[in-house]
Amino acid sequence: MAHAFSKAGPEGWSCGKCGRKLEPVSVNVEYMGSSFFVELPGCPDCGSILIDSELAEGKMLEVEKLLEDK
Amino acid sequence: MEQSVLEQFENLCTQEALPACQSHCPLQVDGRALASLTAEGKIDEARKNLERNMPLAAISGRVCEGPCREHCLRTALDSGVNIPLLELCIVQEGRPVKPFPLPGTNKTIAVVGSGLSGLVAAYGLAMKGHKPVILTMGRPGGKLWDLSRRLMPAEVIEDGLQTLKNIKVEFLDVKTFDRADLDELTRERGGVFLAPDDPLFDFSWLPPESLVADRVTRSSNLNEKIFLGPDRHEKTFLEAVSAGKKAALSLDRLFQGVNPATAREKEMTGPTRLRVDLGGREPIKEMEPKEPTAPDKDEAKAEAARCLRCACLACLPPCPLLRGRKGYPKKYAREFYNNIITAFGIRHSNRHINSCTECGLCAQLCPNGANLGQFVAKAKIEMVKTSHMPVSAHEFALEDQVFSNSDEAAFIRLQPGSTTSAALFFPGCQLSGASPEGVLDLYRHLMAHLPGGVGLWAGCCGAPGRWSGRRRLTDKTVATMAEVWKKSGSPTVILACPSCARFFEAELPDIPILGLWPVLEKLALPERAVPLAEPLVVHDPCAARLDMESQTSLRRLMEKLGQALLEPPMSGRKTLCCGYGGLVSEAVPEMGRQFVQERLSGCQEPILAWCSVCRDRFRAEGRGALHPIDLLFPQAPPQAVMTEEPPGISAKREGRRFFKIKALTDIFGEAVEETKTMGLNVDVPGSVLRDMESRRILMTDVMAVLENAAKNGPSFINQETGRRLANLRPRQVTYWVEYDERQDGSILVHRAWCHRMETPGAPGERKESPASEEGFARTGGRV
Ligand code: SF4
Ligand code: SF4
Ligand code: SF4
Repeated sequence: MAHAFSKAGPEGWSCGKCGRKLEPVSVNVEYMGSSFFVELPGCPDCGSILIDSELAEGKMLEVEKLLEDK
Repeated sequence: MEQSVLEQFENLCTQEALPACQSHCPLQVDGRALASLTAEGKIDEARKNLERNMPLAAISGRVCEGPCREHCLRTALDSGVNIPLLELCIVQEGRPVKPFPLPGTNKTIAVVGSGLSGLVAAYGLAMKGHKPVILTMGRPGGKLWDLSRRLMPAEVIEDGLQTLKNIKVEFLDVKTFDRADLDELTRERGGVFLAPDDPLFDFSWLPPESLVADRVTRSSNLNEKIFLGPDRHEKTFLEAVSAGKKAALSLDRLFQGVNPATAREKEMTGPTRLRVDLGGREPIKEMEPKEPTAPDKDEAKAEAARCLRCACLACLPPCPLLRGRKGYPKKYAREFYNNIITAFGIRHSNRHINSCTECGLCAQLCPNGANLGQFVAKAKIEMVKTSHMPVSAHEFALEDQVFSNSDEAAFIRLQPGSTTSAALFFPGCQLSGASPEGVLDLYRHLMAHLPGGVGLWAGCCGAPGRWSGRRRLTDKTVATMAEVWKKSGSPTVILACPSCARFFEAELPDIPILGLWPVLEKLALPERAVPLAEPLVVHDPCAARLDMESQTSLRRLMEKLGQALLEPPMSGRKTLCCGYGGLVSEAVPEMGRQFVQERLSGCQEPILAWCSVCRDRFRAEGRGALHPIDLLFPQAPPQAVMTEEPPGISAKREGRRFFKIKALTDIFGEAVEETKTMGLNVDVPGSVLRDMESRRILMTDVMAVLENAAKNGPSFINQETGRRLANLRPRQVTYWVEYDERQDGSILVHRAWCHRMETPGAPGERKESPASEEGFARTGGRV
């Protein structure tokens, strides 16, 4: 599953608080009592994670639906 | 869910009942399958199929007299399909199936007589592994030898006898057979079968009534071990085959210690429950083969093509769910039931269950009134109860219901200036959200014309909760409504929305209700009412398919107005659903579109829909559509309104808020406090809004994200484009908004999206209150 979400961060974004450029950060994502680690673009300082629309409406939606049917 | 619920439904859908040919065949030969396979040229497969039900098919298939023919449904058109002709071809041309008997037992059976019934009984017993011995007087075969050699060549009989020997049937030549012989056999053998269809055996020493067998088991009154072949009234070869087959099964059961009489209903011939629509079928002349005893494959094919492939398809064609997959209601109900009781793995049918609009059309088309929608409603309740309803499926509609019943939108007032009301007008959340001004004018009209005072009751009846299987939420809604109604003096409630009407009928049976159209029909036409110059196709909402009174009143009212109407192909009792029923358009939007398309494909003209959801769904597909109030209480020329983009989810919420404020201030003369906002100046282009709507993101969701960002700063900034990105998880959904801050401080929204997964570690992703037991957490009443 870890691979499913991995993707390079969208171009040009940096953290609104820390100003740092986003890097792949390993985060725990959770839904319907299932959780797993994935790499997502995030702020190396504060850990804010960016989930872009492509991910939210693509792979992530697919997994959400799957977990809901479990 | 109790299994009996499934069984009850299964009993209603008779799609799996046997075709008439099979139900009238004493061997249960499947004429429909034989005809299908033969027509496709699959003679070997047809033979396999035939041998499953017909023992010693090489012989039996040549002598079957075809008692099915007079019951075949084709008799209503021309003449019954000639199944015996097919059988003849199949046993002559099809590859024989090699018999594989079960492992041997030590049961020996005496078969007395070697006519066809004896041969068949011995065959059946040997196949079960038992040891039959056929007593014969001279050459075995009985009357088979009397048939024409053309139809029954000697080698076919010889081959049949050889087949029996191959499966270890013994033959014993005897000279005489009498009472003492019978007694001895009965004592020594596991069982006895008397086959009086062998003319060489004389059983006249037995009383005639002892030779009459039980119709199903072929048992006799002589001894529980003695079974009988055909009696003197059973003269056909097929009756002989049937008697031998049944007796072999009974004896096998006897050996297994099972009562031969139990569960034999399937072997009884009789009428079938299968209903077939013969509409549009043309007569076709029966095939007459050149050589009647040896029809060739092409001749058999031609005759097979006459078979109607009897099946019940009555309910399938107009329903996208039923016709979409290879099945029929009985099969789907079983599938849905298994989906519910499954303990592990993915529940693949969730989507299909949530694709039924509960519109009840199937029940109107089914000869037995089977209503898959009712079954689905029960299935959904069970899914919610066991926490297996996908949480996102109906979430938005449920939140909408809660919003509509919150202080922001709900209220109830008696007619201004009166202390009692004879009636309460309940416009419903959808109509008052979509057409608030029109509804207010309608209310003014009712106040002006109805005696005794009319109150106004704004809110959502609770249909979404009911459609989504949330029993607890529904019970709570119902209890609140009953209380509110009582406090208002228990008046009659006038309902504008057909779905509300069904909800009140089912959940609040004590509340007397009236449909809006029967009420309006009796009043003077509103002053500003205008007809449209062109005729409108009248669409009856599916919730009102049985509400004949409203259907008629609406039509009469339109006639009074001078509005020309057209009837669509499916209307009234058989009307089609727009796809919102059962919240299908919420849970499975693609399916919702198939339903609306099904309705639209039947007509080209603009539509008059007396449910505002239907109206707006038609408009969203680009079809002109109006609600009767658009003509009766127009706010703009109907011609122009008809093709406008329909109000979306944000506009409808706004409409409900507006409806309350407007009603309270303009009609009831109350002061209403303005809700405070941060006063952000936000610009959302139409295309962005449409995108948001399809994701069920409200303007208020976007505003919450932006207000949070205004206080705490955006989460991300794009160094190249200067755009900002903010996110917020106010409940089980995280919302994202990408925007620009303009020089003048206003905000231009570029995109908004959302997801349900959370990243609990990340800042800004605060964990919200857990989902309620009913599976959805957020409540209305937020800005
Ligand atoms: S039409 Fe075909 S399926 Fe129907 S009863 Fe006749 S043979 Fe059987
Ligand atoms: S109409 Fe539909 S539900 Fe009724 S028996 Fe036929 S297939 Fe079954
Ligand atoms: S959508 Fe309507 S017609 Fe189709 S199965 Fe459901 S209740 Fe029956």
